[in-house]
Amino acid sequence: MASTDPPESPVSPAWQTVIADTLAARGVTVAAYVPDTRLQLILSRLADNGVCLRSLSREEECIGYAAGQRIAGRRPVVLMQSSGLGNALNAIGSLAVPYRLGLPLVISMRGTLGEANPSQVPLGRAASSLLGTLGIQSFPVRSAAAAEQVTAGVTTLAFEAGECAAVILEPELGGGREGN
Amino acid sequence: MKATDVARAIVDTGALCVSSLGTATSALRAASDDGPHFYLGAAMGSALAAAMGVAEAVPDRLVIALLGDGELLMGASTLWSVSAYRPGNLIAVVLSDGVYGITGGQQLSAQTRFAAVAEALGGISGARVGNEAELRTALRELGRPSLIEAELSELAWPGPSPFVDPARVKLSFAAEVARGG
Repeated sequence: MASTDPPESPVSPAWQTVIADTLAARGVTVAAYVPDTRLQLILSRLADNGVCLRSLSREEECIGYAAGQRIAGRRPVVLMQSSGLGNALNAIGSLAVPYRLGLPLVISMRGTLGEANPSQVPLGRAASSLLGTLGIQSFPVRSAAAAEQVTAGVTTLAFEAGECAAVILEPELGGGREGN
Repeated sequence: MKATDVARAIVDTGALCVSSLGTATSALRAASDDGPHFYLGAAMGSALAAAMGVAEAVPDRLVIALLGDGELLMGASTLWSVSAYRPGNLIAVVLSDGVYGITGGQQLSAQTRFAAVAEALGGISGARVGNEAELRTALRELGRPSLIEAELSELAWPGPSPFVDPARVKLSFAAEVARGG
């Protein structure tokens, strides 16, 4: 007897599409970011979903902007490269965390597996530890299959539990990392 | 003009206010009797960005950032973002006294000229005011977004502690946003 199950899609959506669609489905209305090659397809997909994009000058500014959105009741997301996490730490640690303005972060990793630029290594190696020291959990994504669950879980921590949490875009995802 | 005079003028507009750490937060607390504003207790350099976030989240309310001049010097690149996105309900008011207040009154190393910088960037109206009447006129009449440098002639500490309770600030501000205006 022939199966009545719908046929599987021959091509799974790219991880960038899954992350963007999940963020939009969770009510994200604005994305504050500092540009990065690997974030570009997430951002363009967010825009396709009607999410407002705000390219800002510095990662710390992204956290401040998102804190303002969040305290006013909106659902922002902040996207950055791991090299910018150092720029953002003061605003994370002395605004987002103490005010419990749960912000979802999407961090594109540099300085880890396959990194060719020595200057990127120390902050990349330290990124998850730095977040953890501030009490922020981070969750790696290494495949498109994991992207939806991790992104959805991070938005739940942020918007429902009021805790900042991070999606970590690991090098195994590919997607145009500078230098590859 | 004292910091509390500046804060009182912005409170009288009925705006949602965001204050930077130190003198600005103390002055806003004093002038509004601990009104439902977004007082920052730290995060130096982030207050204008936070105010821009509030302004774009609540486009039907006037939003005013009350900023120390050292604060804005640290977060000055946000002026470029304000110029880029031009939220029409945002005013930045700078307490211009040329010193870092909360850390002991050390002098800033350079002239800030924020109003002139804002004007040069495009899309931001800039003004420098020396008394309360000029300030109130600028708040009312300048095209927005705008940046107003308020020259302080007295450096007296406003009074209330700038060490706010984040949980209380968040709840009262969220309630004020929900209440509408």
